[in-house]
Amino acid sequence: MQSLDPRVNRLPIPESWGELRAKTPLDQLETYEVFHQAKPDKAFEHAGIVHAPNDDMAFLFGKEQYSRRGNTCSGIWTVATHKVMVTPYTEGDTSLYDLFEGEQQHAAQTEAYEIFHLKKRGKQHVHAGTVQASSYDDALAVAQATLNDGKMVYNAWVIKSSDFFKSNAEDVDMWNTLYEKKYREAIDYRAQDKINQFKEEQNLQNHG
Amino acid sequence: MDNLALKELLYKMADDQLILGHRNSEWTGMGPILEEDIAFSSMAQDKVGQSQQLYILLNQLGEAEPDTVAFMRNAEQFHNCQLVELPNGEYDFSLIRHFLFDHAEWLRFEALSNSSYEPLAQLARKYKGEIKYHLIHANTWIKQLGNANEETLARLKQSLHELAPYALGIFEPSPYETQLISEGIFIGEEALKARWIESVNAILAQTALGAFNWSASNAILGGRQGKHSKHLQPLLDEMSEVFKMDPTADW
Repeated sequence: MQSLDPRVNRLPIPESWGELRAKTPLDQLETYEVFHQAKPDKAFEHAGIVHAPNDDMAFLFGKEQYSRRGNTCSGIWTVATHKVMVTPYTEGDTSLYDLFEGEQQHAAQTEAYEIFHLKKRGKQHVHAGTVQASSYDDALAVAQATLNDGKMVYNAWVIKSSDFFKSNAEDVDMWNTLYEKKYREAIDYRAQDKINQFKEEQNLQNHG
Repeated sequence: MDNLALKELLYKMADDQLILGHRNSEWTGMGPILEEDIAFSSMAQDKVGQSQQLYILLNQLGEAEPDTVAFMRNAEQFHNCQLVELPNGEYDFSLIRHFLFDHAEWLRFEALSNSSYEPLAQLARKYKGEIKYHLIHANTWIKQLGNANEETLARLKQSLHELAPYALGIFEPSPYETQLISEGIFIGEEALKARWIESVNAILAQTALGAFNWSASNAILGGRQGKHSKHLQPLLDEMSEVFKMDPTADW
């Protein structure tokens, strides 16, 4: 029976057992993490997430979504969410690296991994550096030895460099005119000044 | 230097950007997904901003204030090509227009960054980066949809077919072509068109659409001389509605 009324169709009890099937995913695009660099000498910082069908489109959306405001931007990185390896979270006086017990592998074959640190709960993950390693665990062990300054790190993201889509250095001119776009900031609309001025004028007219 | 040639060039560029910026802004809140809605709206703002910079140059050459020029003229005083004034249609139509126009805009700005008229060369160099993103945006979408499925392909093909004659109208020659070229202000519309065909076809060839046969289309001209479709005046009426309520208001 086909009906638009959900009560008619909602319990499709099978006549026989049938077979196991995969859960239907939501009909939406996959997500990508977007990282933003405010100035060439600043670290890349997690800015947020976009939905996109692939890397190219994720960059397209990430660029406008997360660098259409702010005075400056010198780069955008994007990476598919499922390619981000996340450590457990710690809290209080316990740094992630106090608990991590992995060993460096010193393997012959290594590749580059990007390490991001969460140094304050509620803030964004910030790029701590790039390490050469043979696996995600190895990358974390190298980071523990080389990127750990003893300050609190509550969570880390470990991502292969080759999984990123990174803006090119020569494309930094895409953000040349960003500082002119003050009209995208609420602060550019000084409504209160104008309201006060209007009220003053009204008072003058009424009592002057 | 006789400014008529220069002013004609600046007016048509500025009017193209203002009208297309306004048209594209009509997608705000209606884009296919939130991220694209934001990107397309941002680029629409960029275009209006670029037109303002060109109106400022015109103002320095003795023309009226940018706001007056933008909001107080009637359709027959606008020099935009008809391509930019057409209603948005569905998203494939707006994307193809964005793709065709922005390739021309990018190449125009690239050529003008070497213009002998230094204020224009400076402006072109400054805004090229902004337009570079617009171009990447257009190319990425066209490559994405141009290789996706039967429906996207049919839609793109139909829109390309419809818009081709209008796109060729971008390159309607100015009465001052020879002067602009000989004075080194601009390479001229004919040279720009040749670069444009090469540039758009290079992208189309990477899709199932394939390179387009531009010589089979007849350009729809007139826009540069104030001859417009019935769609421009209603757009101007809407765009200037608030401004005209009180042209002296300080926003």
